[in-house]
Amino acid sequence: MKKQSRLAVALLVGLPMIVFTSCGGDEPVKDVVEDVVVEDVVDDEVKNESYYQIPSPDEMFGFIKESGLEYNAELLNPTQNVNSYTTPNAQALNFGVYSAELAYTAAFGEFDNTIKYFGTIQKLADQIGISSAFDKALIERVQGNLDNVDSLVSITNTSYFAVVDYLEQNEQGDKLGIIASAGWLETLYIVANSTDYAKNPSAVERLADQKLTLENLLDYLEAYNSNADVASLIASLTDLSTAFDALGEEESGTGISLKKKEDGKMVLGGGNTISITEAQFNALKEKINKIRNSIINTEA
Amino acid sequence: MKYFNKIIVALVIVAAPVASFGQYCNHFHEKYCMPSENDFFKPNGQSKSALFSKGQTSDLNIIVYKGQDYRISLCMDENLGSQIKFKIFETVKKKVETTTEIVEMEEILDEDGEPTGEEKEVIRKETTMVIKRVKELLYDNSTDDYSTEIEFTVESTRRLTIEISVPNGGGEGKSKSKLMKSSDMGCVGILVEHMPTPISGF
Repeated sequence: MKKQSRLAVALLVGLPMIVFTSCGGDEPVKDVVEDVVVEDVVDDEVKNESYYQIPSPDEMFGFIKESGLEYNAELLNPTQNVNSYTTPNAQALNFGVYSAELAYTAAFGEFDNTIKYFGTIQKLADQIGISSAFDKALIERVQGNLDNVDSLVSITNTSYFAVVDYLEQNEQGDKLGIIASAGWLETLYIVANSTDYAKNPSAVERLADQKLTLENLLDYLEAYNSNADVASLIASLTDLSTAFDALGEEESGTGISLKKKEDGKMVLGGGNTISITEAQFNALKEKINKIRNSIINTEA
Repeated sequence: MKYFNKIIVALVIVAAPVASFGQYCNHFHEKYCMPSENDFFKPNGQSKSALFSKGQTSDLNIIVYKGQDYRISLCMDENLGSQIKFKIFETVKKKVETTTEIVEMEEILDEDGEPTGEEKEVIRKETTMVIKRVKELLYDNSTDDYSTEIEFTVESTRRLTIEISVPNGGGEGKSKSKLMKSSDMGCVGILVEHMPTPISGF
């Protein structure tokens, strides 16, 4: 119910329309028709206890590397900015941003930068009280695998999930939500600014698909909306969701199904797919850049 | 003071198994869910383990991407039984429009805004656009011999809900006020693995 009330956005979509119709002769009776459209979100099924998972940054970067996007160091938040983040919220947000940079540099085998960003997130981990997530063995593994992309990706992934585990075990879901949101947003920023609409359709499509991830993220954050920092983040992400909501849907002509094909393989197919126009891509990119730049802003 | 100490001891006795199980469950899927024999499958960060009690149902919401193959496998503590229900749904938001008409009588006013003593009929048409979350069932392991794993190719990115239900174990109808025994609880792990869909043919 709490969720419903938050999501219940009463929108006056149709302006009240008053139509006067004469009923003939001198009859004083008139009909007045008002159209009021209210938008709401409801769950009418029994609600089970739910967990919402967010794909880690490495999943996105593994994909964008395969899809042919090039590495661009200029997109990274410089490590020297770390000293400017003095509030716990700015530190948690930028821990997420730097975790995404770590996954990005590791995926592209940028070893020097990987080490720099690993050092930066270690420093931030100290400041936000999660340094226990990085044990000595993990740090030694990073230092010992600097020349192997696959190992480095695997280790940086391990470090990300060590943080996730640590925060879950210590019931700091609010902090985890802030870190995961900022990390996810940074992956969007990098993808959106590494291509234009026509250059790499599969990357643009993957960006549009993030509409579904954002739904998961907002549902996750909802449980912690009494935290002011989380509430502020929800407001920013809700603003971003308006750009995602504008995206269209293409019908495949068949309903969604998970069926065995002739070759015996199970295939999840059919149903509607998300589509994106160039104007929508540009609008989305603008919103992503605005929120991301407010997160890494050093003048706060 | 004596009573207070007794309460503390009782709480510790009751809470200890739950707490230790909780800790034990943290990496359960990493330790006990059998990974695919196909080396191309990599563990996915959306995997999760949790403490379940008999009769409990929980959902795990994940994102699966187009162009990837996924393998989802379950593992559980023996005391929870072997017939854990495992369903996969797609959760979508659907717009549902409902229109209601309310007929009201309203006093007619003259040019000066004074009541004329006559009434007119006002029809208020209210269109309510409700966005409902709809879960569409895609897979149910109870129709697949309670299989604990499934492998599939994703043709378009989806938000899936994995629903796990632990059977009650004959405990149905038990009073909920009774304290739960540690044997009524156990870990369930969901291991998600992924790999790029192999391209077949020339």
